[in-house]
Amino acid sequence: MKPGNPVAVSGIGCLCAQGINLSACMDSVFNRRQKPAPPVGFSSSHPVSYPVFEILTDLDLSGLDTKKEILRTSQLALIAAQDAIVDSGLTPELLAKKKVGVCIGTTVGSALNNEEFYRSYREGKHPDMLPIKRFLNSNPASCIAEEFKLSGPCQTVVNACSSGSDAIGTAASWIRSGVCDIVLAGGADELSRITYNGFISLMITDSKPCRPFDRNRNGLNLGEGSAILVLESESTLHEREQKSRAFIYGYGSASDAYHLTAPKPDGEGLRKALSEAMAASGVAAGDIAFINAHGTGTRDNDRVEGNVIGTVFQSIPFFSNKGYTGHTLGAAGAIGAAFTIACLENQRVPANAGFKEEDPELSISPTTFPSEISGSFAVSESLAFGGNNAVLVLGKERL
Amino acid sequence: MNSGIAINGVGVVGGFGYGISALGLALKRPERFTENVTIQTSDGPHTVPVYLADTSQLTNYLPKRALRRIDHYSRMALLGAFLALEDAGELESDRKRMGVIIATGYGALHTSFDFMDSVIDFGDPLASPTLFSNSVHNAAAAHVSIFLKATGPSLTVSQFEMSIPSALISAVSWLEQGRVDSVLFGGVDEYCDVLGYCLHQFFGYNGNDIKPFDFERQSAIAGEGAAFFLLSRSKKTDSSYGFIENVKVSSMVNGEPVIPEGSILFIGADGHVQCGRRYERFLSEDLPLTAYSPLYGSMPVGPGFDMAVAALSIRSGRLFVIPDNMGIKNQSKSELITQKIDSRPIYCLKIGPGGGYGMIALTSIK
Repeated sequence: MKPGNPVAVSGIGCLCAQGINLSACMDSVFNRRQKPAPPVGFSSSHPVSYPVFEILTDLDLSGLDTKKEILRTSQLALIAAQDAIVDSGLTPELLAKKKVGVCIGTTVGSALNNEEFYRSYREGKHPDMLPIKRFLNSNPASCIAEEFKLSGPCQTVVNACSSGSDAIGTAASWIRSGVCDIVLAGGADELSRITYNGFISLMITDSKPCRPFDRNRNGLNLGEGSAILVLESESTLHEREQKSRAFIYGYGSASDAYHLTAPKPDGEGLRKALSEAMAASGVAAGDIAFINAHGTGTRDNDRVEGNVIGTVFQSIPFFSNKGYTGHTLGAAGAIGAAFTIACLENQRVPANAGFKEEDPELSISPTTFPSEISGSFAVSESLAFGGNNAVLVLGKERL
Repeated sequence: MNSGIAINGVGVVGGFGYGISALGLALKRPERFTENVTIQTSDGPHTVPVYLADTSQLTNYLPKRALRRIDHYSRMALLGAFLALEDAGELESDRKRMGVIIATGYGALHTSFDFMDSVIDFGDPLASPTLFSNSVHNAAAAHVSIFLKATGPSLTVSQFEMSIPSALISAVSWLEQGRVDSVLFGGVDEYCDVLGYCLHQFFGYNGNDIKPFDFERQSAIAGEGAAFFLLSRSKKTDSSYGFIENVKVSSMVNGEPVIPEGSILFIGADGHVQCGRRYERFLSEDLPLTAYSPLYGSMPVGPGFDMAVAALSIRSGRLFVIPDNMGIKNQSKSELITQKIDSRPIYCLKIGPGGGYGMIALTSIK
């Protein structure tokens, strides 16, 4: 694949357990670090309480027009989208004049699985239809398009845990091919009892704060949040004399075609995705300043991913933000991309939270303390159920 | 956009049967393709018609043993995928540079509710891991990739009624940018009892036939199935199923969809009053116009079946006449569609309840 034109990122909105916007998140990551705790939003009957990264502040929807009952996932997406639009300097008038698309990754936000409704249905009662109406109102991409009166294509990507990265990569292709002038792209997911029980049933959830790439890692912590990036064509950006914050240089994705939940042991799918993303970016591996790994803290993910990073990038610094955000599923790739851009802007990467002891199965180890970096490019990785692998190559400036 | 993306194979499964031949036969000899199922309602049990898909023929392609843990949602997708590849003569080809894109409105409904059953019946600590991992929307794409050894990119899109046109934009984009040599593209949705309950609560009993042109009465009948296509960039100027000329997804907020003069229009009206009325204005336009939802039922990925009928029409060189009992108001429209297609594009238009719309245009020439 020939390198394509880098696609500008003109605005970012991000919220997760570390903060309600990207600068608050980064401040917390480098200075305080919110730790995971047992879920507050729901209860469970597990004998062990598995900690989660939950947003505990009330969501502020006061600046939004929406009056519909919508899922928390879409509320998170709307808040991040609004912040991203403000950050980009785009006005409603400008948005109305342009072909503006929306591409959002999610998992919980697309699932028809309201537990209260279903329990009532099973008992032969006649449950109120409000949860179903709420679900039908809540397609994250449509919610954003309706709120900001956007008329371009809408796409909700449901590629499990790589959805956010895939949504950003897809959106970049829409800009490159002229389908859109601007795309709001990212991911959103809320904590849910369904996914909480599901991940615990798979025995890949840690009862302690997660420890990505650590020898004694024992699983992931779930989290919630959203990140939305405003992607913009060069001509639109030029027309309004706006500077970009970053660029999407490359995107690659590939399927393991191996197992529904486990990554292929030799990492072939991830290598293929990396190869495509790097080729599309035109950036050499040696020019990558750091890697924001998927690094969930599960035995399998970190072994496969760590070994691929070690082979492809050797000694380039890497970390996973999951020790700060938890695994935010459909939002993970987007939050990872937002954190990566913030690190490029600050020329600084955080410690890989939770890492203490090197894993002899891995040839490399993540960052153990906040470090200065120097360079213009970074890689953000996502691996997912279904064997999806997605990689973004991000840059802070146009070459 | 004039993509020049060719349709090389079509694989369908639905209430009408499985395979492009069954679809062709159903178009020539339409009948009632529904089965009766009993649903729970606030007035007690009710029997309602539903278009159900039978996937037993999947064993023509995969051993029964391999299908033990594969649910109905993924089986429909797998059968559609195998049929499309077989139709294209590509069952044995290398699939390292083939992408997989699947659209779905609701995903694996049965398995999602089965997973909740495991939680409710046995408690949180004994929730089923197998059901959970198969409940994700992209489980179908994962199984397709695994069984077909397709190691290219994979994408699953869920955009309710716009799932098919939205996902098709990405399929065209992948092919145009040279990311892949071909895309196995499809849509899949399944029916379940809970969905039946919800539809009844929202719309009541709608009779035994979908009347797509009766815009005054709710007549939707739920359907399930899969419609798959093998797409590729083609250097040839002709393709038996035609080419994708245009795909658009937008909103009526910025104006109504415009169908170019000289085109043929398939409307996605499927008996839902709220959406159906939005198609009404096209009846007064001088376009050959028809609808095929009575063959496959009402489901979010219905536009995939319209696309399959359009491809089959292009291959046949003429349109399939739909019978009068489907509720055509204007008989002259019915006569118009007996005309030959020639080089006219076929537009498949789907309008959602919120005013979003998707258009897919197929043409016989590049």
